[in-house]
Amino acid sequence: MPLDFRFTEEQDHLRRTVKEFAEKFITPKVFEMEQKEKIPDEIIREMARLGLFGVSIPEEYGGLYLDPITAGVIVEELAKADLSCSTPVLYLVHTAWSYIAQKYGKKEFKEEVLPLAAEGKLWIGIATTEPGAGSDLRSIITTARKEGNEYVVNGEKAFISGVREALKQFEMGGGHLTLVKTDPEKGHRGMTMIFIPIRSQGITIKYEKGWGRKGISWASYKLDNVRVPEKYVIGDEGRGFYIAMEGFDYARALIATVCCAVAKRALEITMDYIKQRKVFGVSIAKFEGVQFPLAEHWARIEAAQLLAYKALWALQMEREGKISRFEVSKTAAEAKMIAVLTAIRAIDDAMRWFGAFGYTEECPLTLAIKAVKSYEWAEGATDIMKIIIAREILGREFLPYR
Amino acid sequence: MNIIVLVKPVPDPKAPVRLKPDGTIDREKVPLTMNLYDKHAVEAALRIKERYGGKVIAISMAPPHAIEILREALAMGVDDAILLSDKRLVGSDTLATSYALSQAILKIGNFDLILCGMESTDGNTGHVGPEVAEFLGIPHTTYVERIEIKNEYVVVKRLVEGGYELLKVKIPALLTITNTANEPRIPTIRDVIKARRKAITVWSVNDIKADPNKIGLFGSPTRILKIEKVVLKRKSKIFSGSDVDKIIESFLAELKKDGISLLR
Amino acid sequence: MSGKIFVFIETREGSIVNSSLEVLGKARALANKAGFSVEALLLGYNIKHLAKELIYRGADVVHLVDDKRLEKYRVLPYTKAITEITQSEKPDILILVATTTGRDLGPRIAARLGTGITADCTDLDIGDYIDPNTGEKFRNVLYQIRPAFGGEVMATIVTPRHRPQMATVRPGLFSIPPKDETRSGDIKEWTIEFTNFETQNIEILESKREPRKADLKSAKIIVSGGRGAGPKGFKLIEELAKLLGGEIGASRAAVEAGWISYDHQVGLTGQTVKPDIYIACGISGAIQHIVGMKDSRIIIAINKDPNAPIFKIADYGLVGDLFIILPKLIEKLKSQKRRL
Repeated sequence: MPLDFRFTEEQDHLRRTVKEFAEKFITPKVFEMEQKEKIPDEIIREMARLGLFGVSIPEEYGGLYLDPITAGVIVEELAKADLSCSTPVLYLVHTAWSYIAQKYGKKEFKEEVLPLAAEGKLWIGIATTEPGAGSDLRSIITTARKEGNEYVVNGEKAFISGVREALKQFEMGGGHLTLVKTDPEKGHRGMTMIFIPIRSQGITIKYEKGWGRKGISWASYKLDNVRVPEKYVIGDEGRGFYIAMEGFDYARALIATVCCAVAKRALEITMDYIKQRKVFGVSIAKFEGVQFPLAEHWARIEAAQLLAYKALWALQMEREGKISRFEVSKTAAEAKMIAVLTAIRAIDDAMRWFGAFGYTEECPLTLAIKAVKSYEWAEGATDIMKIIIAREILGREFLPYR
Repeated sequence: MNIIVLVKPVPDPKAPVRLKPDGTIDREKVPLTMNLYDKHAVEAALRIKERYGGKVIAISMAPPHAIEILREALAMGVDDAILLSDKRLVGSDTLATSYALSQAILKIGNFDLILCGMESTDGNTGHVGPEVAEFLGIPHTTYVERIEIKNEYVVVKRLVEGGYELLKVKIPALLTITNTANEPRIPTIRDVIKARRKAITVWSVNDIKADPNKIGLFGSPTRILKIEKVVLKRKSKIFSGSDVDKIIESFLAELKKDGISLLR
Repeated sequence: MSGKIFVFIETREGSIVNSSLEVLGKARALANKAGFSVEALLLGYNIKHLAKELIYRGADVVHLVDDKRLEKYRVLPYTKAITEITQSEKPDILILVATTTGRDLGPRIAARLGTGITADCTDLDIGDYIDPNTGEKFRNVLYQIRPAFGGEVMATIVTPRHRPQMATVRPGLFSIPPKDETRSGDIKEWTIEFTNFETQNIEILESKREPRKADLKSAKIIVSGGRGAGPKGFKLIEELAKLLGGEIGASRAAVEAGWISYDHQVGLTGQTVKPDIYIACGISGAIQHIVGMKDSRIIIAINKDPNAPIFKIADYGLVGDLFIILPKLIEKLKSQKRRL
């Protein structure tokens, strides 16, 4: 009779622990983070102390190596406490991409970087997007040329998260798993993934001003003859594109979890309000015109949440060799697409019921909708999710273009 | 320093309150959590251990499903945890509870200090600490905010109305701890995972050789005669909105209507 | 049944603590109802002269233990003295005030005597009890009444079979009985044997208490501040209190934050107050605060959070920022005053 919708006692205990931490350290600072556009150093330090940056790192390198569902339980609690999503994003990007780093990285790279990453002293992010290429990754122009035992990287990356954090707020810095072209002739088979430390010589940074999740930094940067040791190549030359897709699946599953958690929390906050706020002598919560859409949103979010957890489960099944890469990609795409869509609509209505209060900058709902909307394009645009799903369910022969 | 900490499961004061159809609070599904003041006691014990060495054992007299709070204590860093659980303990008031706990402590054996929270958030009596101390024949004091370990005694800062006392207490002793004593640590994920793998000892009434006449309902001198719902007859007239002047005007008008004057 | 109600009298710096007199008065009322006697337990050093006052205030007998080793309260010698007297005199009832002393001492005595004790009672009464299991009827037992389940219900607890029936009573609820110098009574002096166990296990190195500066108990109007107030908020609260001729109160959070001294604290670990009007500013309404002020005749709450629990027990609630509401309210009231 498997298919158990319950979590393990260990997951419940971890959930309570992260919840206690997040409510105590993060929630009081959420509005300040958004205003000052910075995650306080103390929060990053406490997240590190708790072990939140070691979730994907194997125990031999000092990490916890938790399964994806447990990683999802953790990010849910961060999201509920931080509706602006800055801290959940700091956690989930590092969790997804340090997983890739430990799976495909070379031994010397892992020995050098992973123990620091596990302790929360070094942060790992992702840099694929460029000014001219977002969804269409094949069109990136950043190149890497091998010279002796180094790669020389030239190009530009845009709208990358975690740049300032890696530069200034993590003790030993950090960097991004960067998608580059090592053999431009070969299209997506000529792409390679390289870890580029953000403190490298030749990187010129320009910070972008996002509409939401302002706590975590967002930047574009030029790479001008940036030299990177060959031990920093992740996986084999030419496999970069596929490795990137694999990392996106983990990130997307976690993002789906975040969007559902944020939407649910937004609805809970709104329900507290509409229960006590009266119009014409009656609580807003008593009007069926409010109850019916509320019920619908709630049920849809529950469904989206289950799909998100299914995607996380699929990732674990893949680790155990029980399920194919394609199945995982499809499920992760489904989860992210549905979660973002459902969350935006739910929070939109919730803001409406909140009235004027819901429009104030201090109201967590305004932070929530801005954050969730970023996932209409970040880490995989919604339309790309549709392409992935259609491709998997119809078959590759029906792809309209390559 | 060998320290025993008494911890109690209580309904989570932060959990959302659900009402039953008759308007009373539904206590069935309320999640249990460690009594807040006991958490401060656990923290105090751990800090002493970190400074002076030794062992910390947490013990709780509770129903089986409350075992989670002992896991919380293990995650914080106590060395061992014991659950004293038995159907025959059900219905114990503070005297019977204190008797059972002191029997369990006798079974544990050696200790230098017993710490517990100054009271529980559900009963608020603060009785178990002093009563356990009496059964064990050791000195005790309450409302302790600071503990300094000396050789055969401790120096404690005890909070009293409008001030404090500094007391020298010979060990072994029992101290009840205030919430101003410290900030309880939040365990790391690693601590939580390690704690889950640790075995928790479970004792029954037989294990602690408790006299059946002194435990449970039979061993409890106090009885509840009746419980009456407190009917709060408050007006609950709320004034809100974005126009503060309007709020104040309506409020003052309502006061006038009800014949209440703030200015005398 | 001996018909004796024992009251433990706390003394400090050579005088009787007021809350002990409150409970003595309540004991007198109970005694009058049931035909019992009231006997005071007076322990200390050089306190003989206080015995007369206890008789004037309602005690029929004063059990006096005057001993240098009892000069300042310590649980072990006090427990020994009281349990010895109790075992000899066999009172039906023994009550203490729920001060830090009473809550430290009461349970130890109860455990030594193997009897029941109820903490923090808000009322006491005498009545009958029928055991639901055996049908046995117990007459004239002590009703120990206190809030339970977070203040939502009032529980009446009894100790039918064990003696003495013990209770600690919350200070500030009853009035101090008047002094009647025509009253007479007995003073019984006791000598207690103390061993090393009583005298050497606990030593007082230092003791510091500051007398209360704020008299909230007799205030008719109290304007109180909580976590939402901050030092600036308290300035506004002070202004409003002055304007209304009232006193300033505070929640535990405000006192712990250092915005105001402990004498202004209202709540479970502060004072219990019953003013005509209680205005709570930036106070969320945690149960520990509410139990200290819920018997106020009128409660007005000002809070930014529409969901704050304080609104549930308020007669009038203003939802909004106290930094905006208070100045405007003060303005409005000032202009009202000018017109008066």
